[in-house]
Amino acid sequence: MTENKSNEMKIKTVNLSFYYNHLRVLKDISVEFPERSISAIVGPSGQGKSTFLMIFNRLWETIPDARMEGEAFIRLNNKWVNIYDRSISLPELRRSAGMVFQTPNPLPMSIFKNISFPLKLSGVTEMQSVDEKVESALKQAFLWDEVKDRLTDDARSLSGGQQQRLCIARALTLDPEILLLDEPTSFLDARSGQIIEDLLLSLKESCTILLISHYMDQIRRIADQVMELSGDTSNNS
Amino acid sequence: MKERFIEIFIKSFAWLSGLLLLSAAFVIIGFLMIKGIPTLSLSLIFGDTSPADAFLLRRQVLTGLFPAMAGTCLLVLLAVGMATPVGLAAGIYLAEYGRGTLKSFFSLFCDILAGVPSIVIGLFGFSLAISLHHYIREIYPCLLISALALAFLVLPYLIRTTQFAMESIPAEVRLTAPALGATKLQNIAYVLFPRSLPGIASGVILAIGRCAEDTSVIMLTGVVAAAGIPGSLLSAYEALPFYIYYISSQYRDAYELQTGYGAAVILLIICACLFLAAFYLKNQLMNRMLYRQ
Amino acid sequence: MDKTTIAETGFLGAAVLSVSLTALILIFMLFLGFPLFKGGSFITLLTTPWNPDKGLFGIYPMLAGTLSIVLLSLCWAFPLSLGASALISVIAPAGFAKFCKKTVQMLTGIPTVIYGFVGVFLLVPFVREMFASGSGMSILSASLMLSMVISPTMILIFTDTFESLPASYSAAADALGASPVQKLVYVILPYSRRGIFAGLILSVGRAMGDTLIALMLAGNAVAVPGSILDSARTLTAHIALVIAADFDSIEFKTIFAAGLVLYVFTTSLILLVRIIGGMDMKNR
Repeated sequence: MTENKSNEMKIKTVNLSFYYNHLRVLKDISVEFPERSISAIVGPSGQGKSTFLMIFNRLWETIPDARMEGEAFIRLNNKWVNIYDRSISLPELRRSAGMVFQTPNPLPMSIFKNISFPLKLSGVTEMQSVDEKVESALKQAFLWDEVKDRLTDDARSLSGGQQQRLCIARALTLDPEILLLDEPTSFLDARSGQIIEDLLLSLKESCTILLISHYMDQIRRIADQVMELSGDTSNNS
Repeated sequence: MKERFIEIFIKSFAWLSGLLLLSAAFVIIGFLMIKGIPTLSLSLIFGDTSPADAFLLRRQVLTGLFPAMAGTCLLVLLAVGMATPVGLAAGIYLAEYGRGTLKSFFSLFCDILAGVPSIVIGLFGFSLAISLHHYIREIYPCLLISALALAFLVLPYLIRTTQFAMESIPAEVRLTAPALGATKLQNIAYVLFPRSLPGIASGVILAIGRCAEDTSVIMLTGVVAAAGIPGSLLSAYEALPFYIYYISSQYRDAYELQTGYGAAVILLIICACLFLAAFYLKNQLMNRMLYRQ
Repeated sequence: MDKTTIAETGFLGAAVLSVSLTALILIFMLFLGFPLFKGGSFITLLTTPWNPDKGLFGIYPMLAGTLSIVLLSLCWAFPLSLGASALISVIAPAGFAKFCKKTVQMLTGIPTVIYGFVGVFLLVPFVREMFASGSGMSILSASLMLSMVISPTMILIFTDTFESLPASYSAAADALGASPVQKLVYVILPYSRRGIFAGLILSVGRAMGDTLIALMLAGNAVAVPGSILDSARTLTAHIALVIAADFDSIEFKTIFAAGLVLYVFTTSLILLVRIIGGMDMKNR
């Protein structure tokens, strides 16, 4: 584990609690995550790790009967922003905090279209900049060399590890400041997992990364700090 | 021992029921085919007019089924054309925007509409026409009114199919686009709706079938036994199912009865084709939509 | 107004339109049949016989006609459909079962008018010969053909319910050595009670709302039927027959009374199924 050289904080929560119906899954969490580092989140299954991650892109709000108490802030453009403020635009927040899920979820389109999809959503249509962004995202995700000659192939024809890198590339298209990853290597073989770990290390320079993981050696290899979510308590170490 | 006896009884009963129903079905279809297929010929459809003349509307077809087939065609196009946009939009609303009691309420009303007998829908269409007649002299039971009433008939099917197709989309797929910054509408337009297309498409085709075969609604809203090709939306028209009904009680000689059988076979063929098309289309689209590996 | 608001208003508007349609139908029935409804005369309407010469315009005979045809057709259809579904889902070998199911699915697509047509020229003469009474157009003929019309859908609903048995129950039964029939009787049927009930209720609604079979095969006589070989008229056939009468006459207005009764009946059935639960209201 490397020491963080007094990086400034990037993400913080204050007295955060979360409920599904009447079941409390997160209790009173106040924690800070430094920028440009990899923070691992660990804990037994079902203790709310995925939920915790969804706090930061507000994706939980589509789930019925879910409720949050407390506050969450992200330092965007050098200013602390309360991400639950009324004035926040959800789509924009989600472009600043990209998420990668446990199971790769490519859309039923070509590789190129998958990567450029976020650009389409945010209204960027100029061909040249789209091409550039797609290439740069795929390079950042260590996938460019493998797919550059078959960008029009269906994304689902890629292997599991490639699909997951595709999803990471897709999340990187809009240059997010934060990356939220929910056990990204759980369903991949060791070799693909290794590639993704190297990839995350390289992304650390430009992104703040929150990573849920079950693999202690993975965490030892790449995480700068670890947060433990167990039962009703949380430990930051 | 009693176990054994019950087991044999149930097995025999099941086989008996199944075979009974199947044979009844085959007898019905078989009878129709035997009587009807020999009557199929161009003159059955076009009478003494040549097909070219009939299609180009150069001459009237006086003794063939062509006007009835054309009437059914126009009816279906109009009705489904009117019902599909409304049905799809309402289905999207129920699946994506409806919540809680309001949603159950809307959903209940759609179910009630689906349960209303078709003759009552026809009666409603008729009443509508009569009421409008007070204000606009020209309106009277006609092609337009029938199409409208048929649209009412199939609307709940379209809504339910769309709603069900969209609600069946698994959670992971639902969250993909929003996680990338899509708005709710973008998610619907780019991911959810395209993915629901197989289900929706087969629903539309089944609605087409429903409109093509219906008799009760059109009986009350303007269909007649002899009217030729309808000149405008407000004119009277013929339709194939009604012709079949009409012939069954009003046939004057053996020849007319034959045409009834022929018409029934043609209607059956049309419905079979629609059914197969719905099946085929659904499978085709499903293969493209779902994950292939 | 930006694109999103226009689209979302459109969706809501379509939903509201569909819902108001349901209400409008009821309103029209009430409004147009109004002269018949005032002052409690609606109840008398439902219990009086039909005899225009004597000024009696009750729809009781039609009610009796509808009820007898519907109940009789269910007597044939329900047990047979249950048996056939058991055959398809549990008892028959896989290949044959699949063939049966496909056939049943195709049968749901056959227009009712065709059943009616075949009924007129095949079933009615048969009944006439067999029982040597009347014209053959009777409750018996109509109910037999009607049961053919409603069985395919009932079978599909039942098989869907049977096949929705959770795999864990099925595995438990198998592991304990139950034969397929035993699994059917002791596990599947109890589990499927609600679905079967819902399927039954929906078929009642369907049978009640059918016009053509009754119109073409039941004879349409306006007397309360005494036996199943008698001719009868249903509420639905009544509407189809009287529509040609003079609009302002009392006779004509009775069709709205019939329409109202049908509407109320089928709506109650839908509500009943809702309350009991037990089914995904798909595109049945």
